[in-house]
Amino acid sequence: MSPCYVRFWGVRGSYPAPFATHMRAGGNTSCVEVRCGDHILICDAGSGIIPLGEALMDQDRVRELAILMTHYHWDHISGLPFFQPAFTPSWTLRLFGPGKNEVEVAEAIAQQMRAPYFPVETETWLADIDYLRPSNGYIEHGPIRIQPFNVHHPGTTFGYRLEVAGRNVVYVSDNELLFLDDPIDRRLVEHDLDAGEHELLLRMKEEEKWSSLQPFLNADVLIHDAQYTPEDYARKRGWGHSCYIDTVNCAIDARVRHLYLYHLDPSYPDARLDSLHHDALRIIRERGSSLRCDMAREGMIIDLGG
Amino acid sequence: MVVVVDDSAAAVSHYQASARGLEVELRAFRSADAAIGYLRDHHPDLVFLDIVMPEKDGLTLLKELRALPSHRDTPVIVVTSKDYAQDRAVARELGAQEFLLKPLRSREVRALIARYTGVESRSHRGGHKP
Repeated sequence: MSPCYVRFWGVRGSYPAPFATHMRAGGNTSCVEVRCGDHILICDAGSGIIPLGEALMDQDRVRELAILMTHYHWDHISGLPFFQPAFTPSWTLRLFGPGKNEVEVAEAIAQQMRAPYFPVETETWLADIDYLRPSNGYIEHGPIRIQPFNVHHPGTTFGYRLEVAGRNVVYVSDNELLFLDDPIDRRLVEHDLDAGEHELLLRMKEEEKWSSLQPFLNADVLIHDAQYTPEDYARKRGWGHSCYIDTVNCAIDARVRHLYLYHLDPSYPDARLDSLHHDALRIIRERGSSLRCDMAREGMIIDLGG
Repeated sequence: MVVVVDDSAAAVSHYQASARGLEVELRAFRSADAAIGYLRDHHPDLVFLDIVMPEKDGLTLLKELRALPSHRDTPVIVVTSKDYAQDRAVARELGAQEFLLKPLRSREVRALIARYTGVESRSHRGGHKP
């Protein structure tokens, strides 16, 4: 295997989906491993981090890793209480997530491991726990350069742009794209708008769009929230997730090379995901784009070379 | 004095155009860190605060602002594209006066400035109508 790669360990959003009809994509919640030589970076600690932890315990070459959390909703941290390296003294875990300082990050993680929710507290972790600290907006983990940025999701939620082996990998598990379009469009048809205000609103709309695309621009790999069909999105607007159609269009507009549809709805069986993927490819074809697009699935590996 | 914190240049222009003609100083910051640096030493009558900005978000800024003894009661209006109940609750908990959805109309901006600064909101000279 190439020394640098991305591997999906959990691709579902919201809750684990261990159903026979879901096994091709897999049932675990958000977790992606980015490997560059002996450096391991984990994006999110949903239930997918549990089998990753077991795999790491089966090797003895690496004893240090970093975990980036996008936010602290259950589907992104629920695997941490079962992550074997955390309970093993020879390991060092370097953590990062939203929070003013490491005390806030530690507290956000610790809350789910307290009575009455859980029998064992983070104080029982035997690994050395350290915290990653940004400097000038960037974090370094070995040869991997990490840029956190804010996305549209309730509470403070980060996306991460990673530079690894000369490639740009963007990880955005939860993000509601194009959320501002409707409010601006509604304003634009108000009868008493004069030309000046109309022009400013149009500029605002354009700027919001490009501001949303900015972190994805020219990414080699974009792993992005594509949780809903248009029908489900209409019912769940404001829940902080994207319709796959918006995700595909944004990836095309941002000139992304390869898009992985991610944070898949746990109620969608494989057959339904196949039809979403089929439709995503139709959109790309009709727009004449060279974007490549796959549905993320557990065990899938993206070779980054290096 | 009114402070605007918004990463969007168009949004900042909109506030500036809306406030034109009002006898009020308006200072705009395109990032939360630049704003908090200024607010440590200044006490505006009103802050318009966006939530989603590329680096530090508006609710984190609001939390930092409220931690400064001199800003416990500074009026803050959160203006955002994110109509999330959780964000509304956090903003309320942190003492934001209002939680409004983007984009505001010019007349709304003018009325809010008038209400919080006491300046008269009269039809302004030039620019678009209130």
